[in-house]
Amino acid sequence: MNRFEFSGKLRITLLIGIGIGLLSMILTYFIGDDDLNSRFWSNFLHNSSFFTGISLMAVFFIAASVTAWAGWYVVFKRLWESFSIFLFAGLILMTILGIGNYFQWHFLYHWADDGSVAHDAVLKGKSAFLNKNWYLVGGLLIMGIWIFFRQKMRRLSIMEEKQIMGDYSIHQKLRIYSAVFLPIAGFSSAAMIWLWLMSLDAHWYSTLYAWYTASSWFVALVAMVIITLLFLKKLGYYEQVTDEHIHDLGKFLFAFSVFWAYLWFSQFMLIWYANVGEETVYFKIRKDEYSWLFYGNVVINFVVPFFALIANSFKRHKLWLVIISAVVFVGHWLDFFLMIKPGVLHTAHELIGHGIENEEVLMHHHHLPAGFGFPGLFEVGTFIGFLSLFLFLVFSSLGKAGLVSQADPYIEESLHHHV
Amino acid sequence: MIAPVSKIREPLVYGHKTYHQITEDLVAPTEKAPSLSWMLVFIPALVLLVFGVFSIYWTIYVGIGTWNLNKTINWGWDITNFVWWIGIGHAGTLISAILLLFRQKWRTGVNRAAEAMTIFAVMCAGLFPLIHMGRIWDAFYIMPYLNTRGPVWPNFNSPLLWDVFAISTYLIVSLLFWYTGLVPDLATIRDRSAGLRKKIYDFFSLGWTGAAKHWQRWEYLSLILAGLATPLVLSVHTIVSFDFATSVIPGWHTTIFPPYFVAGAVFSGFAMVQTLMLISRKVLNFEQYITLNHIESMNKVILTTGSIVGVAYLTELFISWYSGYIYEQFAFFNRALGPYWWAYFGMMFANVVSPQFFWSGKIRRSVGWTFFLSILINIGMWFERFVIIVSTLARDFLPSSWSFYSPSWVEIGIYLGTFGLFFTMFLLFTRVAPVIAIAEVKHILKTSGDQYVGKDAEIQH
Repeated sequence: MNRFEFSGKLRITLLIGIGIGLLSMILTYFIGDDDLNSRFWSNFLHNSSFFTGISLMAVFFIAASVTAWAGWYVVFKRLWESFSIFLFAGLILMTILGIGNYFQWHFLYHWADDGSVAHDAVLKGKSAFLNKNWYLVGGLLIMGIWIFFRQKMRRLSIMEEKQIMGDYSIHQKLRIYSAVFLPIAGFSSAAMIWLWLMSLDAHWYSTLYAWYTASSWFVALVAMVIITLLFLKKLGYYEQVTDEHIHDLGKFLFAFSVFWAYLWFSQFMLIWYANVGEETVYFKIRKDEYSWLFYGNVVINFVVPFFALIANSFKRHKLWLVIISAVVFVGHWLDFFLMIKPGVLHTAHELIGHGIENEEVLMHHHHLPAGFGFPGLFEVGTFIGFLSLFLFLVFSSLGKAGLVSQADPYIEESLHHHV
Repeated sequence: MIAPVSKIREPLVYGHKTYHQITEDLVAPTEKAPSLSWMLVFIPALVLLVFGVFSIYWTIYVGIGTWNLNKTINWGWDITNFVWWIGIGHAGTLISAILLLFRQKWRTGVNRAAEAMTIFAVMCAGLFPLIHMGRIWDAFYIMPYLNTRGPVWPNFNSPLLWDVFAISTYLIVSLLFWYTGLVPDLATIRDRSAGLRKKIYDFFSLGWTGAAKHWQRWEYLSLILAGLATPLVLSVHTIVSFDFATSVIPGWHTTIFPPYFVAGAVFSGFAMVQTLMLISRKVLNFEQYITLNHIESMNKVILTTGSIVGVAYLTELFISWYSGYIYEQFAFFNRALGPYWWAYFGMMFANVVSPQFFWSGKIRRSVGWTFFLSILINIGMWFERFVIIVSTLARDFLPSSWSFYSPSWVEIGIYLGTFGLFFTMFLLFTRVAPVIAIAEVKHILKTSGDQYVGKDAEIQH
């Protein structure tokens, strides 16, 4: 079976998932929210940025692998390719947020409130970067570039199939696009991460933030690739994918979980050690108000995969690997929750006008509004909706080309891959 | 059965070599009398070493006042050189450990020399913090052990002490890695020699017989060491970066430092490997083992890490503006337009602009260009550390104590001396052990020899 058949059953399951998501979002908007709809919009941003980033990392992975002449992953490269389809959805979702800045549909960003900026020297100083126009136009431009490369590389990869054996001219082209994409992704992902996420805590800054966030995306990508690949194998597809490939994916999950932890530690420790108030405030709130998530983040995303994947045999056990991948995937979703929610809540407090006093009260009573302290049912529902949409698009895209490339220059190596 | 190799890949061993020829070629430099070119490099290296030893002696005898450091700029060439040498030491372990985990076959051509280089570079680096103490005997007090000193312990909160642990661990693991790889090759030399030479190599080859069991354990050990050394590649320069980043000095205290220092270290390490290997392959006739394909691969690593460093420079610059923190903004203004502006622009040009030439395949495969750019990058990475250390310190919090610094002859002498040490050790190494891993090249022959792959392949499989 070299063609993926997006079966009716799977389609319906995912559509139900999307339905759950929509219902959760509607309910959030109308019953579970504050005056500014902070909960609804922060969930919107949380999931949009998380899944768009995963999609971007899929393009990045392909570009890096092509550039590095990697052979092992080629047998299931179509799966990686199909992961990049969500960039289109990301473009729409993030543009909604961009337009929303103008019409005050949402109040996620402190810097988007003209009144606040006028009275705040720091926000005024940043306004050349943090402004509505750049959020919208810069976002459209950069995501447009990502999509351009995604389209180009996907097309070249499919065109390879029609080539005569031994002619690698298309692959040479693919190499050029891949190599060019790498530095572009390096700069542009940082710009988007600052704009979409870091600016939620508009006063705060950290130079490592962009790489940290990107690594979170990357681990989530690998985890989801493992889950979908093993799911497809279970359905009878991808019989050419052996334990050896799975093992290597396990290694990637292990290695990049450790890498993520390295960046987490570097960022946290340096800020904690230097103890500069403007910087520590970010972690202070998270450590005090969100202790479960704060410490849980490190446990789920580092301690668990570290011990669960350290031995060879663990990485070759399919069910085990799926469980750990699922844990880590949710873990990084929670990581994003923790990155996003405190900043949004703070902005909401500033704008609703309770200001500092309210925050003082919060500190003492440990009471955070629903959907902010810990993901509630609506958050889980929204997550299910976005995940279903993501997978729906992935599977639709997957069916559009042969599952296993016949003509990739490295296909033989990949079919006989041995760790 | 031999694993299939994509036709798009290039061979890594040229000249239709047989196993025997590989042995002959690679052992040859250790069996012949030193060539004239070897002597021509060795003698100046030795002279520099002697001068360096004298400069160190002078520092200790007269005192640290022989250096031009002052109250404001209390780290100068010493720590600049320290960080620079540690950085250079990074390529070896990256090549031997991470590239082994990634199953990169091209590593076999250069791993041995790069690992040796690592060890010598770390030795050079280690000198500087020791001499910098001024009273060299104080080095004793960095050892943490239960003692009669009572409550006097090293400061465990200090990243400078973490450095001691990180670097000594790194040195030990790198040494183990290098030596483990050497064992089968030393046995090869032993089997070809006689008399005292045989006895010496016999001792160092640890009773290697080439039994299947030996190979199996050897491969297992290599993999375990690679697993252990991989985090070390990151940890060492991470902790070096902590020396700066844990402080509250604007320009030093920034969270991107750890990964950015690591990328920079790999960048400079590869540049130094290029410099050394381009000379070695010529002098020792290894052009068929260290091919243009190897050089191209290394240039790609240089391009990648150089660009990562470039992203980090611009991130720092951008966030210093974005922070809205005037001291942070001034630190970068001072770097670019202060008294040491030339170091900043030298750094930007050599580290960010110059590797971009490697986008061109022609330049990546040109020995002359590669050599020139590798030297330029070595200089650029020295400038980077100088910029971070000296130009930051020169403008501290009190304008009344702002200062300027240029090195004394003693500081220059010690730096030159480390070059002497580095090259003396490396040249001696080329005389006693194979510069290219014999066993590992043989291991890839059937998948990367030019009689098996590439356009001249005769044997199909």
